[in-house]
This record gives sequence, C-alpha cells and structure tokens, in this order.
Amino acid sequence: MKAAAYPVPALRAPSAVSNTLTIAGRELRDAVRSRWFVLYTLAFAALGLGVSFVSAAGSGGTGLSGFGRTTAGLINLTLLFVPLMALTAGAGSIASDRERGMLAYVFAQPTSPVETLLGKYLGLGAALAACLALGLGACAGALAARGLRTDPSSILWLAGLSVLLAMGMLSVGLLISALARRTSVAVGTAIFVWLALVFVSDLALMAGAVALRLRIEDLFAIALLNPLQVFKMWSLHAADASLDVLGPAGLYASEEFGARLHPIFGASLAAWIVAPLTLAALALSRRSPL
Amino acid sequence: MIQIDHVTRRFGRAVAVDDVSLKVDSGESVALWGANGAGKTTLIRCVLGLLRRRGRITIGGHEVRRRGKAARMLVGYVPQELGFYDELRAEEAIRFFARLKGLRRVEGAEELARVGLEGHGRKRIRELSGGMKQRLALAVALLGDPPVLILDEVTASLDAVGREEFVGLLEGLSGAGRTLLFASHRVDEVSALADRVVMLDKGRVAEVLAGGAFVARMRGGAVLHVHIPAEHRDRAMRALRESGFDPRLNGVGLLVPVAHDQKAGPLQALAQSGAPFSDFEVLSPGRAARGKTRNSEATS
Amino acid sequence: MNRVAIILTALGAMGMGEPGAHPAPQHEEPAAIETTAQGVALGAIGRRIAAASPGDVVEIGEGVYRERIRIDRPVTLIARGRVVIDGGGSGDIVEIAAPDVTVRGFIIRNTGADLDGENAAIRALAPRATIENNVLDDVLFGVDLRQSPDSRVAGNRIGGKRLDVARRGDGLRLWRSDRAVVEDNVIHDGRDAILWYSKDVVVRRNVGRNCRYGLHLMFSDGVAITDNEFTDNSVGVYLMYSAGVEVAGNRLIRNRGPSGYGLGLKETDRFAVRDNLIVGNRAGIYVDGSPFTPDRPGEFTGNTLAHNDVGVVFLPSARGNVFTANNFIDNVEQVSVAGRGALDANRFWDGEVGNFWSDYTGYDQNGDGVGDFVHESYTLFENLLDREPALRLFLFSPAQQAVEFVGRAIPAVRPEPKFCDEVPLMRPQPLPACAVVEGGGGGLGLTGAALLAAGAGVIACAAPRRSRPGRILKGATP
Repeated sequence: MKAAAYPVPALRAPSAVSNTLTIAGRELRDAVRSRWFVLYTLAFAALGLGVSFVSAAGSGGTGLSGFGRTTAGLINLTLLFVPLMALTAGAGSIASDRERGMLAYVFAQPTSPVETLLGKYLGLGAALAACLALGLGACAGALAARGLRTDPSSILWLAGLSVLLAMGMLSVGLLISALARRTSVAVGTAIFVWLALVFVSDLALMAGAVALRLRIEDLFAIALLNPLQVFKMWSLHAADASLDVLGPAGLYASEEFGARLHPIFGASLAAWIVAPLTLAALALSRRSPL
Repeated sequence: MIQIDHVTRRFGRAVAVDDVSLKVDSGESVALWGANGAGKTTLIRCVLGLLRRRGRITIGGHEVRRRGKAARMLVGYVPQELGFYDELRAEEAIRFFARLKGLRRVEGAEELARVGLEGHGRKRIRELSGGMKQRLALAVALLGDPPVLILDEVTASLDAVGREEFVGLLEGLSGAGRTLLFASHRVDEVSALADRVVMLDKGRVAEVLAGGAFVARMRGGAVLHVHIPAEHRDRAMRALRESGFDPRLNGVGLLVPVAHDQKAGPLQALAQSGAPFSDFEVLSPGRAARGKTRNSEATS
Repeated sequence: MNRVAIILTALGAMGMGEPGAHPAPQHEEPAAIETTAQGVALGAIGRRIAAASPGDVVEIGEGVYRERIRIDRPVTLIARGRVVIDGGGSGDIVEIAAPDVTVRGFIIRNTGADLDGENAAIRALAPRATIENNVLDDVLFGVDLRQSPDSRVAGNRIGGKRLDVARRGDGLRLWRSDRAVVEDNVIHDGRDAILWYSKDVVVRRNVGRNCRYGLHLMFSDGVAITDNEFTDNSVGVYLMYSAGVEVAGNRLIRNRGPSGYGLGLKETDRFAVRDNLIVGNRAGIYVDGSPFTPDRPGEFTGNTLAHNDVGVVFLPSARGNVFTANNFIDNVEQVSVAGRGALDANRFWDGEVGNFWSDYTGYDQNGDGVGDFVHESYTLFENLLDREPALRLFLFSPAQQAVEFVGRAIPAVRPEPKFCDEVPLMRPQPLPACAVVEGGGGGLGLTGAALLAAGAGVIACAAPRRSRPGRILKGATP
C-alpha cells in the first residue's frame, strides 16, 4: 500500500449550462475555422447574389417591389441549400468525433452526453446562423445597391426562418450522427434524407394529390409534416399575410387558420428541432455512445 | 476508491467483460493485464461510465452512470491516443478541459510545464508528436488534481524513448498517493507501476497477482516485439503459430512471448516464412530490463 | 314604376320587408308638414328644409343632429363647420326626393345595419343630385343613387361598417343613373362600389380599399374608369355584361382573396385597358368571356403587370384579346390559361409591337429593341398547375424545378406553349404615369448591413485571438 488517501479536491462539477456553453463555444470556433464553413458561406453568398442580380435584372430596372422572383428565388435557394448544409454538418459531427475517439475522450470528462449534444447543437447552429446571415446580408445589400425596393422585413423573416429551418435540419443531422457508426455512413444517410425531404416527398405528394384526389385540407396537413414546406409556407405567410399564392390549399390554410398559422408553422418546425434532438440525446445516453 | 461488482458487458453476442468484480483502494495502483481483446478497454470504459453494462460500478461512492459527472470529477483519464480538434492549440485544449472541470483561472502554461511541454502551448495538436500528444492528454487528466487516474494503454502508440519518458512521468505521479487503474500489456510498465495486477482473459478475471508476484512470474521469459509491415502480419502470425509460438498483434508489429533462452526462435521462423521484418526489441519485465531495451534500440 | 319599387312594395305586402324605412317616393305625400313620412316629429334640419323655398341655400350650423332627413324640394343643404347627422344605428339617414338637390360638407354616420332594408346614409331618388365633400362613416350603404341621372358624387369619404363582408352594404351604388360623375371619393370597408344599368358614367380619381369589389359594373355601357386607385380589395375593378368601357391610368394593387383580381372582365365588349399599374394581385387581369361579341378585339396596351401571382388569366371562353406594349414583370406565372384554352385565341403581339417579359431569355443582336427569338412559355409545372390548381402548394419548391427540368429534358412530356410573342421587347416600356414607386431602398441596405454585422459578429466572437503565432513564440522564448 502506498501513501494515505489522496485529498479529494474541493471542486464541484460545473453546471450543465456552463458545460453546454463551453462545448458550444469550442464547437463554434472549430466550425468557423473549418473548411466546410468557409465553403458553404461563400457558396451560399455567391448563389444568393446570383439570384438577386438575375431577378433584379429581370425587372428591367423598374424598381417595382413586391413578392416576385427575388424572394421566390431566395426561398428556393434556401430550400435547397440550408437543409444540405445543416444535415451534413450535423451528420458529420458526432460520427467523426466517435471515429477519432474524441467522443469517448470528451465523455470521460465530467460532462454528460446530453451536454455534449446540446453544446454541439448550439455551436454548429450558431455557425450556420452566421453563414446564413452573411449570405442573406450580402443579398440584401446587393438588392439595395441595385435600387430594388423590397420590404426589408421580408428579408429579415427569411433570415430568421432559414435559421429555424437550419436548426431543425441540424437536429436531424445530429440524430443521424448519433446513430451511425461511421462518418461516411452518417453523411451518406444525411444526403439521402436531404434528397427525400427536398425532392422525393414533394414529388410523391404531388403524384398522390393527383392520383388519390386528395382533399386540399389533407394536402395541407400532409405538407405540414415536411419542414421544407413549412419553411416555404411560413416565409410566404410572413411576407404576404396570405397563402393564396399557393392556390386552393394555401387559400384554405389562410382562411381556416389566419393568424394562427404562425403558431402552427412554429409548432411544426419546433417539433423538427426538438424530436430528433431528444432521440439523439436518448441514443447517446441510453445506448452506448461509443 | 473504485468498486466494481459483477460487471458484464456484451457487444451483440460477444461477451467483452464477463462478471468482473474488483475493488481498488485509495492510493492503490492496479494494472489490468491481458492480450488484446481480453476486455481491458471495455472494462475501463465501463468504469468511466461510457458504456451501459450489467452490475454496479462506483468511484468514490458515486455510481458512474447515474452520477457520472460527480464520479468523473474524481478521475483523470488518459486514452490510448488523444483524439481531439486537430487545429486546437495545446494551451487552448488545456483551457477547454479546465472549464469542463470547473477550473476558471487556468492559463495552460503551468499545466503544460508539469508534463514537460513548456514552450509548446501555441502549437496546434496536429503539430505535436505522438509522445507530446500523450503528455498533453496527461496534463488534461491532471487538471484539478483528481485522486484517480485511469490510463488505457497509454504508451501503445509511442516509440521506445517516448514510452520510457512517459512511464517515468507516471511513476512520479503514482507515488504521490493517487489511485491508479491502468490497462497495459507491457511487462515493464506493469512492473514499474502496479501494486496489483488483474489478469484478464476473454473478459473474465483469470487471476489477481501482487506486483511482486507478477514480476517474478514474468522474469522467467521475455517478450519479443517484431516490427512487420501491416500487409505481412497475417502471414507472420501463421508462421509463428506453426512454429509453436503464441504471437499477438500490437501497433506496429507482433508481440511474441518467448522463454529466456529462445529469443532468436521467432526470428528464425519468420525468416523461413519469408515475412519481412525491419526491427525487433526484447521486452523484459522489471526496471533492469529497460536498459536492455534501450540497448537493443540503439544497436538496431 | 321601377323594379326596386315593385319588389319593395311586394315585400311590404307580404309583411317581409320594411317598406316604411324607404318608401317608394311616388306613393308618398307628407301626411303633415311637421312630421316625417313615418310620423316622427321633424328635427331641426327637417324644419329648416320644410321652411325653405325651392332654390334656397340652407346652411346648417355646428352640432350633432339625431334625425332622419327627407329633402323634398330642390334646395342646397350646406354644413357650416362640423355638422354631424347621426342615424342612431337604425334605418336610413338622408333621402333626396326632389331633383337638383345639393348636400355638401356633412358628417353622416351610424346608419342601420339591415341589409334587406338597404339602410343608406344618402339615398337620391331624383335626377341631378350633387353629393359633395361629405364624410360618411359607419354606414351600411353610403351613397345610393336610384334613378338619379346626371348626378355628381365627389370628394366624399365613405367608410362602411366593420362587418363581415357578407353583411356589408355597398359604399356607392348607382341604379339607372346615366351620365353620373363619380370623382375624388374615398370608399373603404364596404361591399362594392357598383353601377347598375348606368350609361356613360365617369369614374375618376377615386380610391377604394378593403372592399369586396373596388368598382363593379353591371350592364353599364360607355363608362370611363380613369386614374383611380383600388387596393386591398377582393377585386379592384370588375366589369360584367357591359360594353364600351375604358379603363385607363388606374392603380390596381394587392387585390387578393379567393377570386382576387386586379381587373376582371366578364362578358364585356368593346373595352380598352390602357396604362394601368397592376401589381401584387392574385391575378392581375382575369378574362372571362370577353370580348363577348367578336366584332372588336379587347385592347390591352401599356399596362404594367408586376408581382401578381398570375399576370393574366384566360378562361377558355376568352378569345380575341390583343396585348401590346405591356410590361410583364416577375409575375409568379405570367399568363395562365385555365382549363386549357387555345393558344391562338388571344394574341401577345400585333404587327411589330410585342410586350416586355421579365423572363424572356433571348437576346437582341441587331439592337432594334426587339428580341431575336420568339418568347414562348411552356413550362411543365405551369401546365400542371393550369390543370391541377391544388398543386400550386408546391410552387417555389425544388420539386417544381425537378418537374420543369423533366419538362425541358424530355421533349415527349413537354407541353404545348401557352402563348407566344413573336416580337418581345428587350426593355420594359416606361411605367404608367400612375406608378409612384413606394418605399425606400435604405431600409433594405440597412437590413443587409445588420445581417452582415450579425454574421461577422458571431465569427469574431468565435475567433477572438487572431495574433500571429510566430510573434507570440518569439516573445515566449527570450
């Protein structure tokens, strides 16, 4: 036997909030320095500027405002880009940490898996938000410089909602990452989910709507399940206060729910944020995280 | 300090740890000894609360799953290999983990100096050598002076010089009254550090030896470490088995236990099989053996 | 006897109506000089009118008058100062029963809300009424001209009751009132401003908003609708069963809803639609069965249609319209042919003059201002939409692009073009004079700067130490 008992240090484990913020800060710093972040930011800003210039040119310099190709183009771009970005960023995150042994190492510290998950979520989310703010900010600046008079609140709504969408997709990405054994599998799954959300589900719903003669209220209800559709409808609703641009189903939504559409859309996106994150937390803490 | 009661852990059908019970007293230094796949790493991960398992494990009275944070506050952990943000600077890493342990006023320089990394604080982790990474990991483990150190094959990826220096560092630490639980399959390490050796075999506790008894048993023979390129290792394993040896894979080559008068036997068998080997070392138990190891390194 | 009178009399006889509220004038002789037709004692204004001779100018002093007024002789009634006539929330308020009456400068408020009784603030039953500069507020019907030709309704502000649209009355109604002039009025929160069987009416410089139909023509020929602004109604201007209508220089903006049109034409003939600004409507122009007789084409010239969900909607019954020198700017769908009309039924160029299309993809090599290629629109998705309107839900989604990509890539599924313009303009025509561009670009620029700053701020937070490691190392090793 060696010397007597080692003195137990008078330290208390930091609170969950403190740990979460520490990890979030670390994750944000790492993300901002990473190649994917720079690439995504540049690509998003470049595509957004392209959309802005093309649409501003299309109006022939009349300076007429309104909901036209510009906003539609930006919504479209966001719909394609943000889920891809958030899903892959989330999916790569935990799985690659697991692969390099970093997950085990961090979990061996006085932290809980949930803190790590939330920290990663917040850190990556902040990085994505910064990326979106830079991209959309550049677009707004470019549009203003071209003399286009679009209501700034629609750009702000678009920015806010795209951050929400990114948070939802990031949540799904982290779930994939928590479940997958390997980074490559996780990223592959994320891209598959992206395709499913972006193209497959809508095309299937379109076919279903025509083939089964879905009632418009059912069509709208099903569309509420797809976070991308929710993002799109919410952006339009926020810009115009009416969804009648989306035809009978949108009109039905506007007339039936009116101002209640905000909480309805919010609830749908919130579910996409909370549910996958909860499952990921369960997966990490109940199942073996390594 | 560490109490392990009837712990069983399966991966699918395979049983990695099978009904292991073990008590590590305060200030005691216990080695987990066994071949790769004997369950050392799995048991350590169970102790850290990273894996679900049947049975009960406490550190300092805290159940490691239910009160994991409190339990891990008492533990400094050094993994086989440090996997962390490659772009991070050493002192940033120290500061990050210090915050996770509730230490707010840590700058990093002092902590790095403690493990012989003074002046390397601004280096990024990817710029550090293997040995330096392990020392950084040790510095992290020592943050907040935890009473328990848990080490998982910490020298497995180091070269002979790095290994020796690292074990030297550890010796100084274990002497200070810390509780030490470490996995190893290196006789010299175990001899140098362990008060007690738990021999694991296929997930079960085969035998528990006092440090002295372990040294005595191991002194009879030696272990030959042969460096063989990865693509030839299977062939080499087959050839050695056919010649009556019991080789194990390890890092850059094979470990072959041999009797003290048979050290050239495996080399002969390998030469006949045509498997190329670039280097070898003789690993022997006990501190005295380390001089020999260094000599063999120097002459090769 | 006119039709309304017949109906009302019949209703009264059946005990279903409320004939006393608006008696048909030809039956009414005042029972006594000092009471109204209902036998209610005359109020202060009523007594003044009763005391006046034809041709007199009756000036009313400030105050709130709670009475019903029947003007039964040709007098000019003028408010001096703030004169309020309050209907107390039931029945009509002012009735003009004699020709050549003028009502000027009153505040008339709080009619009844009985839709069957058609409670109105001012009802004229005789020719040549002049209703000027009044403020009508909280009224079911505002100004109701019944067989009141050659009247003038000008400078009034007419605010309807804040009721559900189905329970509102018409802010302005003309019934068989030919040659009336309606100008410089503001009409809001009503049902319609409507012309029934009224020929050669002039409607100019009015503003209509938050109504059902900003202006509605029923069987009214020869009407000139110029320089009005109709915003945020269900329909800006709806022409039905009329002929010889001119619609020029109007601003038709954000008229939305289930059938939200900037301008709707139903079975209307000999019309010209010129120099209007039509922006942000569900459908900019909606053409149903017009022109009704094929003797003269419908003319659409110099209009700017921008940011509408659909620029122009043709029902299959719409044939023989010609669009020239219009700007089609960023309408989500520029032209829609509901229920698959024929491509050549309507034309988008005439001789050498086409239209400007913001989605034109061709170019102009010889620099004559006309695109070198025909502008044709055939997108598979729009084609789908015209057949399956419910699929509009998928507008702006990547799935829409996927469908259109398929349409371009596979000629077999490519739809027939909906329309074509052989001489598309390369640059937009100058905006109509009525286009005063609203809003400022400064807000947008600031927003952009704020977003950029926010993003940069996050990054700056994340990477606070940007010092070069080399220098630090040098400093660290003295």
